[in-house]
Amino acid sequence: MANSLRVLVAVDGSLPSGRALEHVINLSRAGAVIDVHLLNVQIPVESGHVRMFVTPEEIDGWYRDEGIAELEPSRIALDAAGLPYTQHIAVGHLVETICRYAAEQDFELLVMGSRGRSGLGRALMGSVAQGVLAKVSVPLTLVK
Amino acid sequence: MEFMLEGGFWLSVVQIIAIDVLLGGDNAVVIALACRRLPPHQRNRGIFWGVVGAIGLRIALIYFALYLLALPFLKIVGGLLLMWIGVKLLLPEAQDEHGRIEGGTTLFAAVRTVVIADAVMSLDNVIAVAAAAKGDLALVIFGILVSIPLIVWGSKFVLRLMDRFPLVIVLGGALLGWIAGGMLVSDVVAHDWIANRLPHATLAAGLAGAALVVVLGRWLSGRMAARSAPLREIPLDAHGRD
Repeated sequence: MANSLRVLVAVDGSLPSGRALEHVINLSRAGAVIDVHLLNVQIPVESGHVRMFVTPEEIDGWYRDEGIAELEPSRIALDAAGLPYTQHIAVGHLVETICRYAAEQDFELLVMGSRGRSGLGRALMGSVAQGVLAKVSVPLTLVK
Repeated sequence: MEFMLEGGFWLSVVQIIAIDVLLGGDNAVVIALACRRLPPHQRNRGIFWGVVGAIGLRIALIYFALYLLALPFLKIVGGLLLMWIGVKLLLPEAQDEHGRIEGGTTLFAAVRTVVIADAVMSLDNVIAVAAAAKGDLALVIFGILVSIPLIVWGSKFVLRLMDRFPLVIVLGGALLGWIAGGMLVSDVVAHDWIANRLPHATLAAGLAGAALVVVLGRWLSGRMAARSAPLREIPLDAHGRD
């Protein structure tokens, strides 16, 4: 798409992801011409042991299934809004993979939701959004 | 249940659970993957029997390990092996290929895969848990019964935790080194000799073991991480409407 803004939306099927996507849909309604790309990142599950018992195709199939399931709410929202999009599933460390994907594929904007966890939840799980904020090299919009 | 009131019991239980969660995450992945191809109505049965087989096999293996560890020199061998397992926990995953067993689309084939895989994969857990249990089988069974559901149904949580906080893995390596050090000096051959010469030998050996595993693991993984891997994307045939 000529003259469109390449936007990467990192989603995991959660409520904050939905709010991030809603923001992108709003921008588009307001007249922004956006080339929407959805990115879902799966944490690698395979150790040397797992590879001993499961074929790589089987493992990739698992990532695909999990990824497609986590992308589904976003697909439904974008279809309903009538916005075209492209989907991607990547495998790796969450923060690093999101940042590298955005930079290496020349995205002009990264949008993602922030869980807005507080207290114990934050101390236990930390926040992927916070990690991305510290590392990312493309413009970033965090949606709360 | 008098033994449950002692502090040492709970400390060992916590250690066993930590070991099982850290070293057992991949078992849960194999169970899920082996049962993925089953028709939906058989999938839960496959997971259930796979888990039952895995628990039974694990308890049997640890039962024998507890006896073996009472023999001269075997705690020294076990301690060194355990240190290596701790170092390996800190290393990035090697990309080597292995021969593999087919997942299969029948319930029997899936359960068989799960049980064989667990036998192979749990050898490191078995050594670590047997060491942490200090000869008490009741402790082992209790620890396994608590940790298996955590592994099977909480593996996503554990994965996320390790992804966000790599420090968890370092602490796990240190725990294994600590157990390994204590194990080395409690071997029947070494025990009396060391106890006569070194006060607090178990504590000192544990600390030394933990430090050794962490330093060696970080040093080796620093060397391995030098080459950065390309981004890994899973191809999708279904793209959005353009």
